[in-house]
Amino acid sequence: MVGKVVEAQASIARGSADQYGQRWLLVTLIAALVLAMLAASGMGAVHVPVWLLAKSLLRGRSFSSGPLTEDQRIILLTIRLPRIAAAVLVGGALAVSGLLFQGLFRNPLADPYIIGSSGGAVLGASIGVFLLPPVSIAGFGTTALLAFAGATASITLVYWLAHVDGRTPVVALLLAGFAVSTMLSYSSYFLEVLDRDFGTGLRVLTSWLHGTISQPTWPQLAIVSAMLAIGLAGAVPLARRLNTLALGEEYATHLGISVQKTRVAVIVIGSILTGAAVALGGLIGFAGLIIPHILRMVLGPDHVRLLPATALAGALFLLIADTVARTAIAPAEMPVGVLTAFIGGPFFLYLLRRAKHEVMT
Amino acid sequence: MMPLLEFTSVGFAYGERNVVGDLNARVFSNECIAVVGRNGAGKTTLLRLAAGTLTPGCGKVQLQRRDLRSLKQREIAQSIAFVPQNVDVPFPFTVEQFVEQGRTPFLRTFGGLNATDREAIERALELTDTASLRSRVFNQLSGGERQRVKIALGLAQQPKLLLLDEPMQHLDIGRQFEMVDLIASLRREGIAILASMHDLSLIEGAFSSVWLLSPNETMRQGSPEEMLRPDLLETAFDCPPRHRPKLVERTRNQMERTL
Repeated sequence: MVGKVVEAQASIARGSADQYGQRWLLVTLIAALVLAMLAASGMGAVHVPVWLLAKSLLRGRSFSSGPLTEDQRIILLTIRLPRIAAAVLVGGALAVSGLLFQGLFRNPLADPYIIGSSGGAVLGASIGVFLLPPVSIAGFGTTALLAFAGATASITLVYWLAHVDGRTPVVALLLAGFAVSTMLSYSSYFLEVLDRDFGTGLRVLTSWLHGTISQPTWPQLAIVSAMLAIGLAGAVPLARRLNTLALGEEYATHLGISVQKTRVAVIVIGSILTGAAVALGGLIGFAGLIIPHILRMVLGPDHVRLLPATALAGALFLLIADTVARTAIAPAEMPVGVLTAFIGGPFFLYLLRRAKHEVMT
Repeated sequence: MMPLLEFTSVGFAYGERNVVGDLNARVFSNECIAVVGRNGAGKTTLLRLAAGTLTPGCGKVQLQRRDLRSLKQREIAQSIAFVPQNVDVPFPFTVEQFVEQGRTPFLRTFGGLNATDREAIERALELTDTASLRSRVFNQLSGGERQRVKIALGLAQQPKLLLLDEPMQHLDIGRQFEMVDLIASLRREGIAILASMHDLSLIEGAFSSVWLLSPNETMRQGSPEEMLRPDLLETAFDCPPRHRPKLVERTRNQMERTL
């Protein structure tokens, strides 16, 4: 009896040692994210020295007076900071929706881009853009909502197509995802014919299909932040269920998890996050694949532990990628989707190669 | 004495095919029952009906006089643990994380594992002798280790009744005997066991009674000595006529061994 209690205590202690390691990782990620945001706001065509920025931040006068020049101030507030905020939001949303979809499909190769959820969101968002001017708050709200609806519809379709006997074979997932994703994102071009002001909508659409993080306004960022907050709050109670679902539907059902309800909840929450990401950044591939995967190598597969780290690491990853994309070949700018494809594509192929025995059977 | 689990005129069909028909049986808390029958005779179906994951087409299954249909799956899982035959885990969960899942029916939506949960997990690892495996990845375990870890997950539910679906499958002879010992020790812990069994030679000694499923007949129940008789097994397993002498010989050997 005593031995049992001691062992239980030892196990609790071990649990807290793990938690200590996890907390350390979270603190590191937060610090890295803050530093990256500072550094990124200094980088670009107009150089803003980081120390000046830090100084004016510390004085807490919202840049209105202080060491920064008027030009620097305007650039920071209207261009650079919104862009940085957008990259952070998009990255966090993509990584968390990737984590949720991987748990749902019980397949570490799932990603909102690969499985067609982003494609559906782009189609939905394009409909929004061609109906209402995206610059207005109502317009952007509609766009984001339609992006969410498109993501939900496409992921439901892919799930229905690829789910066989409680499993999602890699081949079925990839084929269904590819077909749905291609079909939907190219159908967006069809909407060109509806374009009334010749070009604006098309330009937005093209940048979406390339995965460019647009120059958002603060109200737009507020809408996306709200979506991200809802998505993250919804993901918290789902994380533990995804752990149980990983044992298979039979086990999960027996242990009292409602598989059907969990599935619907994951699809809705994952689509809110995908919709949020697409509304600002369009088709950005692989971020939702790489980030959860790398963190799983560090923290293990427990979704509860992965969730906060995934959100932070996703934000950090996309902020760095977007900053490189807008500064590396200045004055030209490369869509960040191109960059993530460069990094994520080979990573995906490597994972596919490792999963080969499963793909071939 | 109140039965732990009671089947009353239970019938179940997959589409047109009747798998279980008019089943009447009781499980008491001190029992260890082997469910025996040919492939497709409905052994796994019977276990799923007992676990509440399948609902009977007619009749009812009761847990301590309460119809399983009136209970939430979560409530059932607090008393009955089901250990399925095959598990396929797509992520590299450790043994400890795997066994922790057994506490799912006790957790609240936002709650984590508390000291009681931890204790149940430790006890389950200890009983199945898997504490030394706790940091290993479940997918990388051998067949025998996996089987024990799966049972540990079931024991973490602190069940009154443990349902085992083919616990001896894919185990070598040594691991089979280990499993027999484990089942005997769980019985001593006061956990009732209902297990579907393929290998008849492992039943005697470990199990207190046998449920024999035969096609188109009502299920027979009795002690292992009563049930493992050549004439009964012959019809239940529908042995080809030229192999009948072998069946007689096998069961006779078995009887002699236990004497």
